[in-house]
Amino acid sequence: MDSSSSSQAEFDYLFKLLMIGDSGVGKSSLLLSFISDTYEDLSPTIGVDFKVKYVTVGGKRLKLAIWDTAGQERFRTLTSSYYRGAQGIIMVYDVTRRDTFTNLSEVWAKEIDLYSTNQDCIKMLVGNKVDKESDRVVTKKEGIDFAREYGCLFIECSAKTRVNVQQCFEELVLKILDTPSLLAEGSKGVKKNIFKEKPPPSDASTSSCC
Amino acid sequence: MASSSNCKAEIDADDEVLEESIEHFDDFTLASSWERFISEIEAVCRLWMADGPKNLLEKGAVLLESYGNLYKVKSEMKYAMKSYFMEYYFESNPMGKAAEWNFNLHDLQLCFGVKEFLVIAPQSASGVVLDAPEASKLLSAIAIALSNCSSLWPAFVPVHDPSRKAYIGIQNLGTVFTRRFEADRIGSQVPIKLMHLEGLYEIFVSKFAYSTLDLSIHVFKVQFSMRLTYRTIAYEDDDDIKGTDAGVTKSGDNPNGEASNRTQWDDDCSWSEWYYAEDPVRGFELIAIWSEKIVESSMEMAELENSSPHEAEKWFITPNFSPNVLEGSKGKRIGFSSQLHLVVDALEMSFEAQFIEDFVSAENPGSDNLKSMVIPSPTVIDRVMRELFHDGVQLTDFIDGEHKTSRAIKGAPLESLFAQFCLHSLWFGNCNIRAIAVLWVEFVREVRWCWEESQPLPRMLMNGTIDLSTCLVNQKLQMLAICIEKKQQWNEDFQDCLGSEDHSDSMTEDESVAGDDSDTMHKPSENFSGKVDSFSIADDSHSCGRTIAREGKKTEDLSPRDDKKSSENTRRGSAGIIDSMMLLKSYQSMHAPYTQEAPLMTEDMHEERLQAVEAFGDSFNFSAQLEKEILTSDMSAFKAANPDAVFEDFIRWHSPGDWEEVDLEDSVSQSGVGIEKSKDNWPPRGRLSKRMSEKGNLWREIWDSVSALPASEQKPLLDPNREGEKVLHYLETLRPHQLLEQMVSTAFRAAVDTLNQTSYGDLKQMGTKMDQLYLTLASGLKPLQVNRLSADSETINDLRRLCIVFEHVENLLTIAASLHRKILRAPRLSKEIFDDFYNFYSPRMGTGLTDDVVHKEHNVKVEVRNQERTVVSNMFSPPTANQSWRKVLSMGNLLNGHEPILREIIFTLCDEVNGNHYAGRDAGSSQNELKSYRMYTCGTSNDLRVALSVVSCD
Repeated sequence: MDSSSSSQAEFDYLFKLLMIGDSGVGKSSLLLSFISDTYEDLSPTIGVDFKVKYVTVGGKRLKLAIWDTAGQERFRTLTSSYYRGAQGIIMVYDVTRRDTFTNLSEVWAKEIDLYSTNQDCIKMLVGNKVDKESDRVVTKKEGIDFAREYGCLFIECSAKTRVNVQQCFEELVLKILDTPSLLAEGSKGVKKNIFKEKPPPSDASTSSCC
Repeated sequence: MASSSNCKAEIDADDEVLEESIEHFDDFTLASSWERFISEIEAVCRLWMADGPKNLLEKGAVLLESYGNLYKVKSEMKYAMKSYFMEYYFESNPMGKAAEWNFNLHDLQLCFGVKEFLVIAPQSASGVVLDAPEASKLLSAIAIALSNCSSLWPAFVPVHDPSRKAYIGIQNLGTVFTRRFEADRIGSQVPIKLMHLEGLYEIFVSKFAYSTLDLSIHVFKVQFSMRLTYRTIAYEDDDDIKGTDAGVTKSGDNPNGEASNRTQWDDDCSWSEWYYAEDPVRGFELIAIWSEKIVESSMEMAELENSSPHEAEKWFITPNFSPNVLEGSKGKRIGFSSQLHLVVDALEMSFEAQFIEDFVSAENPGSDNLKSMVIPSPTVIDRVMRELFHDGVQLTDFIDGEHKTSRAIKGAPLESLFAQFCLHSLWFGNCNIRAIAVLWVEFVREVRWCWEESQPLPRMLMNGTIDLSTCLVNQKLQMLAICIEKKQQWNEDFQDCLGSEDHSDSMTEDESVAGDDSDTMHKPSENFSGKVDSFSIADDSHSCGRTIAREGKKTEDLSPRDDKKSSENTRRGSAGIIDSMMLLKSYQSMHAPYTQEAPLMTEDMHEERLQAVEAFGDSFNFSAQLEKEILTSDMSAFKAANPDAVFEDFIRWHSPGDWEEVDLEDSVSQSGVGIEKSKDNWPPRGRLSKRMSEKGNLWREIWDSVSALPASEQKPLLDPNREGEKVLHYLETLRPHQLLEQMVSTAFRAAVDTLNQTSYGDLKQMGTKMDQLYLTLASGLKPLQVNRLSADSETINDLRRLCIVFEHVENLLTIAASLHRKILRAPRLSKEIFDDFYNFYSPRMGTGLTDDVVHKEHNVKVEVRNQERTVVSNMFSPPTANQSWRKVLSMGNLLNGHEPILREIIFTLCDEVNGNHYAGRDAGSSQNELKSYRMYTCGTSNDLRVALSVVSCD
C-alpha cells in the first residue's frame, strides 16, 4: 500500500469510508496514525472530521475519503447522513473499556442497519489500544465472535504504536476491491453497461417449479 | 409391365426414330415413370426406415413445437411433370402409447388414431390433390412402395378443397389386413340427425351393420369417448362499445348510456388511476372429457346427450389470451412503459436548451419537431395543478407497502409531490419536452406561492428530515417544506412576543390575507382547515427547539417572553431535570436544555462541504465549522438552563465518555462506611479525560467564550428564509436535462411502485420478476446520477432498453392481475396458467431494441380438480336474454345454458382376431384385439367433420 499525495487528481476509484464507535475509543487517532504516521492525543472530534488519502493498491490508484465521526450522542443525528454511500464502515472499540464494545451491538450496528444505503458495504471491527495490554478487558476471542456474528472483518490494533494500523485500512480496501458492486460505485466515469452482463439468474426454487 | 413398357416405347419413339429403324429393344430394365416414382418413394422410405427416429433426429428432423415430441422429415420427388413432397411424421419415443385425448396430437393422429404416418401431396399452393383419380393413383403408388419395403406405416393423401380437410389413406397391417382411412367435412347445413349423439352413433354402426335387421338383432359393443369444449362469453364483448373509444361518447351521439358507468376489469388495479389496460385474458375454455364407455344402443346415446358436463371424468381449463399479448404489440400498448419511452425521448431533447423556459416560448428558434409538439390547454394544466396541490393530503408515512428495493432507485416516494408531478407529466399531453416544460414552470410557480404565503407544501412527508436517498428535487422540496414550517412557527412566536394577539385573532387575520389572493386557485374552505391544522402543530412545539426530555414538562418552564424580564441568573430554556445528575459546584439538579435542531442539508450541500474540505486540505478546523456551531449552541443553551454549571457538568451531560469517575467502590471498601450515605454519590468524584483536560482543548475554548442563551433566542442554525429562497432559486434555475434526469428516475420508480401495489395473488414468478425489475432499474438508472453536459447516446439507449424490460414486466403483471381476479377462488389454477404463460413468454423478454420474435404457440391446458369445478363452472354465467337470442341451441350437454363450441367423439369397435394364422398384427398394439372400425367426429351444429378408419381383409 503505497501512499502518494502528489497525484491528487488522478485516481481510478474513489471509496468512501466511515469510522464509527463510542467517543474516546481513538477513531481520530487511528485515522491520524494512518494518514500521517504520527500519534497525538487529539481533542475530541466535534461532529465529524474528514480526511483524504491517496493510495495505490494492486496497481489501482485509489482515493480514500475517510469520514471520522464523533461518538457523542448529540452528534449522532447529524452523523447519520454520512452513512450514505459509504463502501466501508469501520467500527472501533477500546479493548480496555467493555462498554465501548457492548455499545457496538446495542447502538452502532443498529445505526448501520438504519442509515447505510449500501447492502454490500464492507464492515470492519477494530479493537483499538492493544498497547495497553495490561488494562485489556475485551478478549480477542470476543472480538472474533462479534465479527463472525455480524459478518465483518476483524483486527486489533494500536493507534499509538501503529501496530496493524496500515493493515487495517489495507484489508478493508482490498475487500472493497473484491466486491464488484462496490467497485462499480467507486469507479467514477467508468460506466458499466448492465445489459451486456448476463441477466441475474432467477431464483432457482421458483424457476424450476414447472 | 407390358403396358408400361409400351407406353415407355411410345415416348421414346419420338426421340429415337433413327435407332428404332435399325434395331428394336425389348427394354425390361426401364420402368414406366410411375414405376420409377414408386421406386423413388420406396427408396426414400427404406432410407427413413433404416435410419430410425434416432438417426433422423441427428440428420435434422424438424420438431413440430405445437405437437409435443412429433418430428417430421421431408423429401421431394417428381412424377409426370409435377413435383410432390412426402413427409414422414414420427415421435422421438415410438414406444409410448398414444393417449386418445392428448392435447398435442397432430390432426391426422387424432382423426385416425395413428402414431407415425406418411403424407404425400403435390407441391402446389394449396397442397391438396384436387381430383380423385390423381389421389387414388398417388395412394396406390405409396401403398405399393410401402408393401415393397414391408413397412406398416399408414400413408395419407389430401383430397379436394383444403377447407374440407379431406384425406384418404391406407395402412398395410401385415399380410392379410389392410386399414383404409377416409375423412371429410360438411361446412354447413348439417343434417339435424347428425347434430345429435344418437345420429352420429347410428352412422358409425351403419358402417358395419349391413342391414337394419342387424341393428336390432346384434348388440354391438361400441366404445365411445367424447371431448367437449366450452367457451366463456368473451369479456371483451362487454367492452366492445367502450372499446370504440370514449371520443364517440363525447361527440354527442351517445350510443349507450350505460357504457360510461360500466366498471372496467382493472378498476381496482393500481394503474387504473393512470390508464386503462386492455384485458389480456379474453375468456376461458373448458374442456370436459368423457372417457371410454361401452354403448350398446342409440337410446344410451340420447341419454348421454342430456348429461351435464359435471359428469365428465376430466376437466381442463385453458385461457383465451388477447392476441396482442401473444404476438407482442410493441408500441401499440398504452401503459407506463409507453409513457416512459416518451419521457426518455424528452430527456434526449432536453440537452438542446439551456433553460426550461426555452422550451416554453413560442418563438423558440429550435428545431421543427419542437414546434410540432403539442401543449395541452390551460384548463388541463389547471386540472393537473389542482390535483397536485389541492386534492393532495399531508402525508404522515408512505413507507407502507413500499418495495424493499424501491429506495435504491434515486427518485421520490410514490405519494410525494414530485413523484406525483412526474406521473402527471407522463400523461400530460404526450409527454413531450415542451409539455413537460410548461407543466414544470407552473409547478414551480405554485411551489413559490406556497412559500410566499407560508402554506404547507402538500404531499410532503413531514418528519423533519431530508431523505438523502431520494432525488435532489425531492430533497429540495423537503427542505422547503421544513423551512415553511419553521417560518410559520416564527411568525407565530413573533406575534406571541408582541403579546397583543391571541390565536383566534391571528387566524382571522391570516385568513383574510389568504382570501385576498383572488387570482390563485385556492379554495378558501380548504385554506381554512389547513390553517387550523398548522396552528395546532405550532402550538405543540411552541419554542421551536428540539426537546431532549419530556415534552409535557413545558408548562413548568418559563416562557421566553417572561425570561426577558428576568435577571441573568434565572434558569431559561430548560427541558426538564435530568434524573440523578447534580451540578458539581452548586449541588443543584442538572437541567437538560432545549437545543436547536441540527441543521438539515440536502445532498448538494453535503457535496459542497466535502469539496470545501478537500480544497482546504487538512486544515483541521474547517470541516468542524458546522459542528462547532452546533456545539456552541448546545453549550450556550446548557449554560442558560444551568446558570451555575461548569465545563465539567457540560461534558458529563454531553460527552459522558470524557468524564472519568473515580471508582467509588474502591474508596468505599478502603474507607469503610466513612462516606456519607445520605448524600449518595455526591459530590461525584471524577475528572475529565486526558484529552478534554489538555491545554488548548477546543471544547473548553468554546465553553469559555459562549454566553448563556436559550435555544429559542439563539441565532438559528438553519435560517429558514435564506434556505427556502435557495431552494426556490434551485427550482427556478434548474437546467432542463437536470430536471429530466431526475424525472426519468422518479417516473420509473413511481411507475414500478404503482404496479407493485397491484395484487396478483401468490404468483411466485411474478414476485421474482418484480424484484428483478427493481434491481435492474436501480442499477440501470445509476448513470443518470452523473452530471452530464450532453446527451450520451449510449445512456439513452440503455434507458430505452429499460423501458422494454419494464414493458415486459408490465405485460406479465397485467396478465397476473387479470388471472388472479378471474379465478380468485381457485388460486392453484391461476398459478398454473400463469406459470405456463410465464414459460412461454420469458424467452421473448429480450432487452433488444429490435424485434426478435420467438415463434411458439401458446396452448396450455390445466386440469381442473374436483373441488375447483364449481369455481370454473361459475365462470360460465348463464347467458342473458340478449346473448342467447344469437344462437339456437341444438346440441346437448349444456353447461349453465352454454352449449359446447366444439364436440369431438371417437367411436371404436374392436373385433377379436380369430386365430393366429392370419399373422395380422397391428403395428401399434400387441394385443389380440383389433380396432376394426374407428370413427372420429368433430364439430358443432353447423359444421361436422368425420374421419373413418376401417380394417378389411384383402
